[in-house]
Amino acid sequence: MDILWFGVFAVLLLGYFALEGFDIGLGMLLPVLGRSQEGRDRVVAAMAPYILANEVWLVAVAGVLFGVYPRAEGEVLFGLYPLVVSLLVSWIVRDAGLWFRRRADGRAWRAGWDGAICLGSYGLAFSWGAALVALANGMSITPLGLAGGAAIAAAFAFHGWTFASWRLPGGVTGARRSGRALLVSACVAAAPAAALLAGAAPWLLGHTAPADTLNVLSLMILPFTPIMLGGQVWVWRTFGPGRAPERTPSFF
Amino acid sequence: MDVLDLARTQFAVTGSLHFLFVVLTLGLAPLVAIMQTIGTFRDRPTMMRMARFWGQVYVINYALGIVTGLVMEFQFGLNWSGLSHYAGDVFGAPLAIETLGAFFLESTFLGLWIFGWHRLPPKLHLACIWIVTLTAYASAFWIMAANAFLQNPAGAVDRGGHLELVDSTALFTNPLLTMALPHVVGAALITGGTVVMGASAYRLFRRTSEQQFFTTSLRLGVVVAAIGVVVTVAFGFAQFGPVGEYQPGKFDDNPLAGAGLGFMILIGELIQFVVLFFLLPVIYWLPRWRWAHPIVMLMIPLPFIAAILGWLAREAGRQPWMVHGKLTVADAMSPGLTPGMVTTSLIAFTAVLGLLAVTDYALIARTVRRGPAAVSLGAAPGSGPDAAPDRAAALSL
Repeated sequence: MDILWFGVFAVLLLGYFALEGFDIGLGMLLPVLGRSQEGRDRVVAAMAPYILANEVWLVAVAGVLFGVYPRAEGEVLFGLYPLVVSLLVSWIVRDAGLWFRRRADGRAWRAGWDGAICLGSYGLAFSWGAALVALANGMSITPLGLAGGAAIAAAFAFHGWTFASWRLPGGVTGARRSGRALLVSACVAAAPAAALLAGAAPWLLGHTAPADTLNVLSLMILPFTPIMLGGQVWVWRTFGPGRAPERTPSFF
Repeated sequence: MDVLDLARTQFAVTGSLHFLFVVLTLGLAPLVAIMQTIGTFRDRPTMMRMARFWGQVYVINYALGIVTGLVMEFQFGLNWSGLSHYAGDVFGAPLAIETLGAFFLESTFLGLWIFGWHRLPPKLHLACIWIVTLTAYASAFWIMAANAFLQNPAGAVDRGGHLELVDSTALFTNPLLTMALPHVVGAALITGGTVVMGASAYRLFRRTSEQQFFTTSLRLGVVVAAIGVVVTVAFGFAQFGPVGEYQPGKFDDNPLAGAGLGFMILIGELIQFVVLFFLLPVIYWLPRWRWAHPIVMLMIPLPFIAAILGWLAREAGRQPWMVHGKLTVADAMSPGLTPGMVTTSLIAFTAVLGLLAVTDYALIARTVRRGPAAVSLGAAPGSGPDAAPDRAAALSL
């Protein structure tokens, strides 16, 4: 049972990097890929239908951390206190930009929230990079974290660029990428977290909650996995490239 | 303030902000789902337009529910790691189930609903908002289960210095859950109903267009608020039994909890009086009684204030315990937490979320002021309201 839940945790964590990675990457690239307001609108519209289905993977990671590894949860989050706070603030600012950018008229309003998306995305990438480096160093936050942040930012930007080239072939990037290329860039985005997770597996497994707790979690959660996966697949089937032309302005 | 007060303030501020948005989300979701159901099966275009208009209000409100919820989820590990260390084997379970079994689905299907207008087949699109509604209420169940455990640690025993789960049925049928959840659900319906009837009254009072649209909305809001009032009051009084049994002296020993309870009841009875004895009996004439519309509008803040006071009573009355009778709040604080850490994060979260909350309410007000014609959620292809200003701006260049 503890192996099964470690698997769930790993899938959720790596899934988060593979999916939300391209949203964060495109957020960072927003001023580059969208030099005009119209261009930025196209970039945001390309990722918009995926974002709610992507960012929720991290909410699930935190939930499993709390339910399956309760004694690791406090240690990790408290140990990375400033990085977790900056991750949350960045996440909030990025999301606010997405939700608010089209809710009022005026170029300054939309450009301002586009700035929030970009800033928040950089904050997310650098917080993650610094957090992964700190976790690898036994939870000591060092200036080396900045290098980690730059590496994660580069990986996410590559993933975001590939996603845009897949979703809008010949569009904002001017390039075309296949689904296979997107899979490769997803692996690049998730690789650092995978390496860390492999190293941390024994420590994490040693912090697993007792069997009684895991049984309750299995009983209450596993029956929903087909709907959870089905919803995710449905998102990709509905909003994939060439499914339907963009005739209406995106809600984000 | 010492570090403990700062950490408690952070939880109180972010928790209150979170609930202000959650309570309206829970109240509006079933309303929007019902409107869209009628619009889909009865071929009533007004109902479909209502689903889009109130749906946009719901969705704008939802944004702040998400971002404040993120802070809530991570805050336990940041400031209260003593709680997960001591009681995580029990307390973590409902939270984990909430994130995976409820919120994961809610967020995925909300995305499909928001971006799926005119893309998904109408009945599948309708199914999305129902899944969103059901999972939102499932979330409420699991979060209330976690909170009820703090009030009355049922189903757990202390073994070797930390709590272990021995009886999950007891955990999920905790009397402080089963009596409190309907109270919260009723309060959400009051809130959703009050916002819909208050905003409709504003539109009717201003004699703007769409009279039929807001006449139907006003009546629907009154009915939902009336149902909510009955449920809330009944399960409010029903809670005194279990609270008296498991947390004797809760409201007497703590002045803050007592005051919260007293004022909440006062506001609740005012809402009950106005909705059940005035608005509901005259529901047929109410849309045309312009003099009564300001009264309906003035009711909008009341359920929000009552909801915060209710949480103040429930949570302040738990002091000094984090887990009643087992773990104090002081012992639950993360060891090594410094005032500097909490102050920085308190300022960051409060400033950012406070600004966004004000912006969010302004955007909801703007949606109501501009009316159903300007709604962008689910706009028909080629007719987006956003297209017009863009074109105007392009021409001016």
